[in-house]
Amino acid sequence: MTSPNHPALEATNLWFAYGAGRSGLHGVSFAAEAGEITMVLGASGSGKTTLLKLCKGLLGPQRGEVCVLGRPVVAGRRQRLDPAVAYIPQHLGLVRNLAVLDNVLTGALARVAQLPSLLRHLPAVEHRRAHALLERLGIGHKADEKVHALSGGERQRVAIARALMQEPRLLLADEFVSQLDVHTSRDILTIVRGIADGGVAAVVATHELDLIDRYADAVIVLREGRKVLDRRAKAGSVADFALALRA
Amino acid sequence: MMGRAPRVLAAWLRRAIVLALIVALIGTLHNVGLLDPERLLRAARNLAIFGAGLFPPNPSTLPTLGAAMLETIQIAFAGTAIGFALAVPLALLACPLLFGPVVTAPVKLVLALVRTVPALFWAIVFVVAVGFGPAAGTLAVAVYSLGYLGKLLYETFDGVDPEVIEAVRSVGCSRAQLARYALLPEAANGILALLLFMFEYNVRASSIMGFVGAGGIGFYLVGYIQLLRYDLLLSGLLLTLGVVILIDRLSAVVRRMFLVPVASPVPAE
Repeated sequence: MTSPNHPALEATNLWFAYGAGRSGLHGVSFAAEAGEITMVLGASGSGKTTLLKLCKGLLGPQRGEVCVLGRPVVAGRRQRLDPAVAYIPQHLGLVRNLAVLDNVLTGALARVAQLPSLLRHLPAVEHRRAHALLERLGIGHKADEKVHALSGGERQRVAIARALMQEPRLLLADEFVSQLDVHTSRDILTIVRGIADGGVAAVVATHELDLIDRYADAVIVLREGRKVLDRRAKAGSVADFALALRA
Repeated sequence: MMGRAPRVLAAWLRRAIVLALIVALIGTLHNVGLLDPERLLRAARNLAIFGAGLFPPNPSTLPTLGAAMLETIQIAFAGTAIGFALAVPLALLACPLLFGPVVTAPVKLVLALVRTVPALFWAIVFVVAVGFGPAAGTLAVAVYSLGYLGKLLYETFDGVDPEVIEAVRSVGCSRAQLARYALLPEAANGILALLLFMFEYNVRASSIMGFVGAGGIGFYLVGYIQLLRYDLLLSGLLLTLGVVILIDRLSAVVRRMFLVPVASPVPAE
């Protein structure tokens, strides 16, 4: 459980630079609370993906620190990452040659025995859990299909099921509804809302303003790697956020 | 802007380089004996005799050649399988997504060293080691395949979509699990294509293993050349051609059966 003294996620003064010509992050700080959806708004290249990768530990900040549930995130290219933080990349990162169920089961890899898992033998309880998640997300009947045969919305659900399989305390989702139609986007974000209501902190990067009203509890706006706005969603209007994006 | 004098100089320089290349080519052709008219005439005569000797192909030894061809395919099949089984773990050890340069660099060096030795030389090495016959050919094909498949596989792993690797890494899995659940399945298309290509290539390569006594149809082909029985040689070559075409067709069927569409389009909602 989240300690009462610590937010689920606390990023402090994060600095990150790529090579020349590619913007990074310049001293970004923010916090995300359990049970809430924090939306990270920004145009392409504003640093949303970099911020989420720093929070996951896929990148290490040149300055600053990320803490999840009060513990610092240790980054490294070959470091084992914390399964309590689930990460859904923009194009979902599903393994095309694996079946839906196998993709979901990968979410359990951190807590199962090594050798049997390498022989693709995972405990029955994990199989039951994966099936239950797929049923809950409405794609139980697709468990044995290969991912490449699914529709966009179904793939999104598989990615969410894999993330939930980790039993996360923090969910990081990077523009993962950007390629869906409005109706499907709303379905998926309703699922994320349900996950947050279960006590998980959700951080969703997006450039779509119209999702804020309905789903966000807190909003931060990034522009050229700098945080230009950090506000409760109810404390601002869509016009405020649009202005912050473009100003 | 370039002035007139430098432009003229550049044009002369280009002409001089082209002229130097032509002179170098003529000198090389002379040195290798291809500007000797008497020699060229003799070569044409010999080719005509060779060509006439090829036809019509003589099928009398086809049962023997068929058995030797089967042995060639077995050499290629077993050699490719052993080479692949050894190449996969080495390619994973050479993959920078999984290991640092302390591990990857020596493995890559070993694979490079294996690749520098031609298949026929490996055949000689293994004839010395295990004696004449298909065992030597199989081991030669295995080691040769290991060198090439090892390199091609780690390059295939490097090409796997980094987002898939990041997503699976994010679940907190180990490096071995990452290889098992992300790298290998995601690279499966490339692995299968490489494996089929290597098998096709090894069938052709195994056809000449017999030249040095390492089994297969090559033993008979070189014998027919030495005995000037070109009609029998043509039968052997046609049989090899037929088998290579057949394997090519079978590979196409296997590819269609197993390969996942690369684009993997998202169907409409």
